[in-house]
Amino acid sequence: MSSQTNQKISRRQFFFVIIQTQIGVGILALPFDLHHTAKQDGWISLLIAGVLIQLLLFLLWWLAKRFPSKDYFQIQEYVLSRWFGKVTSFLYVIYFCSVGILIVLIYSRLISIWVLPNTPFWVLGFMMVFICLYMVCCSLLVIARLYMMFAALLIIMVVFIFYSAKDSKLMYIFPVGEAGWSNIIAGIDMGILSFLGFIVSLVLYSKTEGTAKEKLVAIQSAQAFVFTFYLAIVLITFTFFSTQEMALVPQPVLYMLKSYEFPIVARIDLFFISTWIVFVATSLSTYLLMSSLGLTTIFKSLPTKWATIGVAVTIFITATYIGYDISKLNNFNTYVKKGGYIFSIGLPLVVLIFSFFRKSPAKEGASS
Amino acid sequence: MGFFRKFFQGEPLQDRKIADDKQEPKQPSTKNLSRNIDYLLNEFKYTDDLKIRVLKKGDAALLYFEAMTDQEKVQQMIFDPIEMGKADHIYDIPNSKETTNLEECIRSLLRGHAIYMEDGHERVTMFNVTSVFNRSVEEPANEKVVRGAHDGFVENLMININLVRKRIEHRDLTVKFFKVGKKTNTNVAIVYMDGIANPELVQKVKKRIQSVHTDKVQSPGFMEEFMEDSPLSPFPQMLNSERPDRIVASIMEGRVAMFTEGSPTAIVAPSTFFMFYQSPDDYNTRWYAGTFVRLIRFASFLIAVGLPAFYISVVSFHFEVIPDDLITPIKSSINEIAYPPILEALVMVVIIELIREAGIRLPSPVGQTIGIVGGLVIGDAVVRAGLVSNIMVIVVALTAIASFVVPSNELSMTLRLLTFPLIFLAGTLGFVGLIFGFLLIAVHLAKLESFGTPYFAPVAPLRIKDLKDTFVRLPIFTMKQRPKGAQPVSTTAVEEGARGWKKDEQSNQSKDK
Repeated sequence: MSSQTNQKISRRQFFFVIIQTQIGVGILALPFDLHHTAKQDGWISLLIAGVLIQLLLFLLWWLAKRFPSKDYFQIQEYVLSRWFGKVTSFLYVIYFCSVGILIVLIYSRLISIWVLPNTPFWVLGFMMVFICLYMVCCSLLVIARLYMMFAALLIIMVVFIFYSAKDSKLMYIFPVGEAGWSNIIAGIDMGILSFLGFIVSLVLYSKTEGTAKEKLVAIQSAQAFVFTFYLAIVLITFTFFSTQEMALVPQPVLYMLKSYEFPIVARIDLFFISTWIVFVATSLSTYLLMSSLGLTTIFKSLPTKWATIGVAVTIFITATYIGYDISKLNNFNTYVKKGGYIFSIGLPLVVLIFSFFRKSPAKEGASS
Repeated sequence: MGFFRKFFQGEPLQDRKIADDKQEPKQPSTKNLSRNIDYLLNEFKYTDDLKIRVLKKGDAALLYFEAMTDQEKVQQMIFDPIEMGKADHIYDIPNSKETTNLEECIRSLLRGHAIYMEDGHERVTMFNVTSVFNRSVEEPANEKVVRGAHDGFVENLMININLVRKRIEHRDLTVKFFKVGKKTNTNVAIVYMDGIANPELVQKVKKRIQSVHTDKVQSPGFMEEFMEDSPLSPFPQMLNSERPDRIVASIMEGRVAMFTEGSPTAIVAPSTFFMFYQSPDDYNTRWYAGTFVRLIRFASFLIAVGLPAFYISVVSFHFEVIPDDLITPIKSSINEIAYPPILEALVMVVIIELIREAGIRLPSPVGQTIGIVGGLVIGDAVVRAGLVSNIMVIVVALTAIASFVVPSNELSMTLRLLTFPLIFLAGTLGFVGLIFGFLLIAVHLAKLESFGTPYFAPVAPLRIKDLKDTFVRLPIFTMKQRPKGAQPVSTTAVEEGARGWKKDEQSNQSKDK
């Protein structure tokens, strides 16, 4: 498999990598979280957040475009000077690890609540981390192929969700704007958090074929796709449950699907959650990949294999330490969410601003 | 055997040999006949089947392996010309070959040739008098088709190549021979279309064959294990077939076929997962029917691998998935069973495998009896005794049938092996375990490579053009390009205007009006 290690992924694959990274653990609880802050106007928050991210991605693309042959960690080292760059790269690795841990925590908790109440945490965590390790311990090309293949499962999810649209009552989202603008703006926070993962488009930018413009199209269309998918989920759940009911269902999508029974199967929520596991695995794999990429950029002599295994073991041990403990989970969650703003939005913008002070980066990027 | 003879003796300038033997040792012959014979006898360890016929009152000798030669051919090729006066001396017989190297004599003797030596002469004359026993090229029993060609490869390499050449009458069809196995010296041939097959691929295959260092090569299975990319994978990475039409189709896609002497099986490199699901039958029926059959086969993959696991996870973890009306019948059939479902399934799967394995080697009437006793009697009794629920019997029987739907025996075996880990996963973690199992298989399939081709092409990496001949079988004139999985150099398989007559006819009709 050595032939494929240095190959770049195609733009189509890039598109699916971004989608698979963004769609992950969040979708089950997203409508609830939005509703929690902005009531039935949560979808407006999501809309605004989506537009903001779309603009932000333009800035990130601008940064990546200036250094077309460097990946994000190398850009940092170049722009922020070698040692400061290495420190921020390492912080990124920690951040990606923490997101990975958070994914494992939330996934295991949900599986424990919905499917396997008696299974110990480490079993679920181990299975997930092991699968992702197996997926990542190869090449980016194989990962991209897999993500594209698994995207077919999106059709199943979309069919399930749209099936429930037949019972939606549009009245539940009215009156529009009742929650007030302050709440809607607070809800934007939740909306932006649901899109985190778009940072992958910056990290893997240099490993994709195509011109800058083509890549921009891929990035923006992937974001638009995820945004449409989220908006559909939110609108359908918001119109399925009344405003009072929404407060009672922490995983609205599952509760919604649970109410249907077909002649051949009942409880399609179990099938939905099974498909969802695949998307959790793909998100976790990307974070695993990005952290190992970061580690190998910092420590040049470290083999990718060991970096990946190291990250995976760290994620597994830390996640098992926290386990099903809900208060620790919540604490951890807040930290990671705050980190999300710093690492996905703040730091890249800082790097972008600093990059203007470096002389002719595009030329140097092209020559290296 | 005209082909055979032509191959060995047809070239006027110098005989081309099956394999390059430049580096092989040389032992010059002497003028002394008895010394030559002693050398040969000594090299052959005084084996008793080496026959020495003394001629010319002790001045000459004809040597051959009695078991390897055809007596009639000896008479016809060596003695008849002299008796009939066509040649004055054995040396003058035209269809012979001469050498002064005794090592070469050893090799030709082993091939079944006869050698003639005379006292006072260094030169040795060799005659091809090999006896060949061949079975007829009948259809392989494990790859039958309803419509289409009914011939199959046999144990003779030359006949197999003949079958291929008859189907591809083109100068680009190239055959390369190799000698593999230090002791067995097995002839291995690769066959490919020059100009379609990727030269890099051909080079890769050659290199891998040449690097096989072993005592013996018994069958293509040996070569496969030496050559494949991931020997630890449960999936076969080279397609095996005994059908000339299947192999020819692969060669025409730009793949390389490999034959070994003494085995009717050819193997194809590179192979993809979906090739194992294609059968020549698909192309001999209408494409709707071909598509339908193929979809059935893919359903069989899911059933063979996942049905027992799915059933176990439903009855032991997710009973709520069963709709209300079905719960009572299923529950009542399981209630009386003492064992957990996972144990039931394992017992039944093992019983089916036992019946299958017992049936293979028995003569067919006894085999049928075993099938009836095993399938009907045990199946019925096991349910009545309350050991296994009747739904489990249905599930396992269905799984066994589904696993035989695959047109390839190797993959069918793989599927049945994969059932076990999935049963364990489903028995311990329910749907979650099942999903993880399938995920693991999917990741593994996407990672595998066969001679540089992704094993799961054209699904991962996706290539929509090649999907025309993957899950479905669209009309042949729509498959304009060769599948990329074969890494062909020339991609056009069906040229533009393959159905051009239609336009002509329509324009003619409009003219008539």
